[in-house]
Parts: sequence; C-alpha cells; structure tokens
Amino acid sequence: MTWTDEELVARSISGDAESFNELILRWERPIYALAYRTIGREEDARDVCQETFLRAFRALPGFRGQAKFSSWLYRIALNLCRDWLRRERRAPVVQAPEDVDLMELAAAAEPSESIEDLVARKDLSRAVERAMALLPEEQRTAIVLKEYHGLTFQEIADLIGCPLSTVKTRLYQGLTVLRRELAKNAAGPKGPALQR
Amino acid sequence: MTDMRCGYAGDRDETLIAYLYDDIDPPARAAFDAHLAGCEPCRTELEALGGVRTTLARWNPPEPKSLAAATPHSAVRTPQWWRDIPAWAQVAAALLFLGVSAGIANLDVRYDNNGLAIRTGWSKPAAQSAAAPAAAGPIGVASPSGVGQGFSPASKADLVALEQQLRTEFRSSAAAPALAATRPAASDAEILRKVRALIDDTERRQQRELALRLAQAITDMNAQRQADLRRIDLSLDGVQNKVGVAVMKTTQSLNSLNYLVRTNQRQ
Repeated sequence: MTWTDEELVARSISGDAESFNELILRWERPIYALAYRTIGREEDARDVCQETFLRAFRALPGFRGQAKFSSWLYRIALNLCRDWLRRERRAPVVQAPEDVDLMELAAAAEPSESIEDLVARKDLSRAVERAMALLPEEQRTAIVLKEYHGLTFQEIADLIGCPLSTVKTRLYQGLTVLRRELAKNAAGPKGPALQR
Repeated sequence: MTDMRCGYAGDRDETLIAYLYDDIDPPARAAFDAHLAGCEPCRTELEALGGVRTTLARWNPPEPKSLAAATPHSAVRTPQWWRDIPAWAQVAAALLFLGVSAGIANLDVRYDNNGLAIRTGWSKPAAQSAAAPAAAGPIGVASPSGVGQGFSPASKADLVALEQQLRTEFRSSAAAPALAATRPAASDAEILRKVRALIDDTERRQQRELALRLAQAITDMNAQRQADLRRIDLSLDGVQNKVGVAVMKTTQSLNSLNYLVRTNQRQ
C-alpha cells in the first residue's frame, strides 16, 4: 500500500520512524536537485539536503498540515540555501572542469550514445549551469521551482512569500537573461567566464 | 522587457510567461492566442523562450555520490546511537561494566574439582561453606572446552523457582514482625540463624542473577561477532564489485581514448 505524504507525516508524528524514512526516500532527490541548482555545489547541496530532513524531523510535531508536506520541505530547503548563499556572500559556484574527464564521461555514457553526443550534452549542461549562476537568487529560485519541480505560480508565490505577478515577472526576466547568455555561449567556444 | 512593437493591452510579459508554462486561465489563453496570430514579435519571443526551456531540461545535477548515506536516517536512528559505536568498543564497555559490577559484588570465582563456583557478597567463605551445598554450590559445571560453555543456561524452571523463593521470602519477612511481637523472648541464636539464612538466600539470588547476566553477555557477544563477520563479508563483496566496476570503467575509457585518438588521426 502506498501512503500519501500526509499519512506518512501523521504516522511519523505518532512515532513510526519507518514512515519518516519513507518520506526521505521519496523526497531526497528532489530536495537535493533543488539545492544543487540553487547553490551549485554538490557537497554543499548534499549538506543542505541532509540538514533539510533533520530540521523537518525535529519540526515534525509542529507541522499542522496548513501546507503540503512537499511545500513545507521546499521552504526549509530554500531557507537553508538562502542562508548558505548569504554566508558564502557570492553567487552559486559552477563546478565545471576545464577539460573533459574521459573516465567520468565513459561512466556517464548512455548505451547508444556516441562520445561526441556525450561531450555535446555535457557542454550544454555546463553552459546552462554557468548561465543560471549569473541570475539573481530570486530569479534563479523561481525558474528552478517552476522548471524543474513543476510548481504552479501560486505555489511558488506562497512558498517564497511574494505576489503572483512578481513570480511571473521574475520568471520572464530570468528566462530572458538565460536566452541571451545561452546565445552567447552558442556563439563562443567557451561561453561566459565562471563566476567565483 | 516588453517589446515596444507589441500592442498587447494587458501585462504582456506576465501573460507570455503564463502562456509559455500553460498555467493560464482558458479565457486569457484564448485572448493571447488571438493576439499571437497577429503579433510576430510575441511569436518569436515565445518560440525563443520555449527553446530556452528545452535547453534547461538538459541540465541535470550530478548524481550524488552517497545521498542515501547523507540523508538523516540518523535523525530517525537517534535513539539507536549506540549502533554507531564499533563492536570492539561495545564489548570493551560491557567487560568494563562486568568488571566494576564484579568488584562491587565482591565476586569470587573458583574452579576446582567440583567445577566452577561463583560467589558474591561480603560474607566470609567459612560462613558460606556452612550453607547447603546443593543450593549455594556451583551454578554451573565447567566443561573442558572453556568457562563460557560451562554455564548451564538459566531455564524457565530456574526463573519460576527463583520467583517462588522470592515470594516465600516476602511472606516470611511480612510475618516476621508478628512473630517478634508474640515471641519477644526469642533467643539470639535463633535470630542469628534467621539472619544467616536470609544472607544465604540473598547470595543465592545474586549468584543466579549473575549467571543469567553472564550467559546473556556471552550470547550477545557471540551474536555481535557473527554480525561483524557478516558485515565484513559484505564489505569484501562490495570492494570486489567496486574493483570490477573500476576495471570496466577503465577499459571503457581506454576504448573512448582510442576512439578519440583514431578520430584525431583521421582528421
């Protein structure tokens, strides 16, 4: 039987540790992906992911179900990402090696994918990562939540505490910057310089 | 950001985004559809932003190396923090605890022709020897193979007997004040005999309890040892698998390198 998030939360509150483990298994990857796309560092994204679940576990008895569990979890993760960015006082770091790591590439290759396709895919992914790192935090967050987590405009507005129109404006501005930066990247061999 | 050539009446940027993500009311969608039909700049921008979305979809975070290990199962496991302590440390702590307990209980372990004898308490051995040997005697007989195997494990019957003994003692202690009141002139020798009997009973109980605890500790240690051995086996299997995967990846990367070299040579 598959429990809903809310049922698992209720069972966790009543002391069933396995239910919270199930919630972790269900949400660890989305939370990690959100953290990674927001702060751009694998290790720190893992730390944020871990801290998110720790905080959620501690705060679980106070969770009254006013919002969806996932929204509540996203809010914790976003607050932690924001803290991280403020603490680091810099834009997200893009972890892009200068040279292609053949070992890593070989491990990541799809069975039917040629090495050229694989290199192109990696290049494109790094270009997106660099362009995203140039965005202001609020635009990047809006794009990540909409594009990669499929939240509605209203859910994003509730989550980050701003009007609906602001969410749309941030998305429009962010996508416009990305369009320009990705076009530059397509024109030049290396794209924009890494921001550190 | 609004394109000045566009004459859309409402907030064009917000509507464009809502249309792009298909998160828009049907009437607004219909109105924007009608606008798009006659607005080349909006069509171009919509297409370009759609292309940006397609590109964004190619960005995947790297696979985390050990996300499962990083997630806070420890938060759930908090009550079981001792599981994280190495087995050897747990065994050492158990032995230390046993040592301290034995010291406090004045443990006296003897191994002679009569087998293994364990005594506790601060009474003198001479006084103890006066007690009935069947009851206060060895709690187990050592086998040639070792002390650990020499203990006869406490059975349910032992526990029942112990319970009966305790009930009897409670009854006798409850009746004692009444006896004292009716027979105030009881002799000192009789009192001494009763006290000695009580001490003997207490010693027997302590011996049984200690035997139970020792047997339990030995069982736990054996179980822990078995679990450690299984864990080591699993770790070795994991190492072997990783080595195999590493060899496979190396081979694969060499093939890729060869391919690149061949491609370069052809060029």
